[in-house]
Amino acid sequence: MTLAEGVQLVLFGLLAALVIGTALGVVLLSNIVYSAFLLGGVFLSISGLYVLLNAGFVAAAQILIYVGAVNVLILFGIMLVNKSQPFTPVRRGWIRLIATGGVCLGLFALLSTMILGTSWQLSTETPVGDGATVLIGMHFFSDFLLPFELASVLLLMALVGAIILARREFVPDEPPTDAISDALKLPERPRELVPAGREGSESPE
Amino acid sequence: MFVLTGYEYLLVFLLLCGSVPILALGIAYFLRPKREGASRRTTYESGMEPIGGAWIQFNIRYYMFALVFVIFDVETVFLYPWAVAFSQLGILAFIEALIFIAILVVGLVYAWRKGALEWS
Repeated sequence: MTLAEGVQLVLFGLLAALVIGTALGVVLLSNIVYSAFLLGGVFLSISGLYVLLNAGFVAAAQILIYVGAVNVLILFGIMLVNKSQPFTPVRRGWIRLIATGGVCLGLFALLSTMILGTSWQLSTETPVGDGATVLIGMHFFSDFLLPFELASVLLLMALVGAIILARREFVPDEPPTDAISDALKLPERPRELVPAGREGSESPE
Repeated sequence: MFVLTGYEYLLVFLLLCGSVPILALGIAYFLRPKREGASRRTTYESGMEPIGGAWIQFNIRYYMFALVFVIFDVETVFLYPWAVAFSQLGILAFIEALIFIAILVVGLVYAWRKGALEWS
């Protein structure tokens, strides 16, 4: 075992312990904000594992997408709905625990058999290592140019759709009056929808 | 086949950034007077008086900023290989990246016109 391999082994052990520890914290902590921040720790540790696998671009994408975007969205969701109200204990909670445990164990068994059953064929080509990002960039602008530009259109569609959904321009005329409990509702200050085109003319506040 | 070349800087950054909060909190722990009191629990000695708790429900409209931010965060992932390979790519790739950004600027203008970026 050379020095580099030893360093890699130690780093892998550290990162794996971090992943497992933070993931356990996500599940076990009762404060949902702590869980969300620990989820960011899970994502960061996994990106460290990607670095160990010489996948620098995947590690950067992991940090940008998961830590930067997904975790921020989760935290925003908590901020917007969480009023830290005391939870009443669920009746017959043990049924839920058993069902959750069964599903998780089944998923774990399925994934384990898949991992053990797959013959991991390593590519015989020489790995590009740190040059992978440059190679991806070359491919983006040569043979994957159309998907690259289409991704931009896809992002534009997602942005417009998110704005239309979040502004609730297409709300039903009569509000649903069935018994949704107050805890599940998302109260919002009523505000005037300004149509595009007369923005900035006046804003009655 | 594994060499962590070029990650020495990352290691130095990690050590430096990790030591800043540890040093700040540790030095403060040794220097501060260890007296309990009602005023010790406040946020700042000379700042605004905090009103209410920190666990409040935020207005739903802030979610719009998060959504717009996520879109442009994903855009960054696509632009990252272009930035790394910029010197190998020609002027054509520059124009193509400009088209990519221009399509997303349309979305930004749409969000702007729709008032999604209005803070109040």
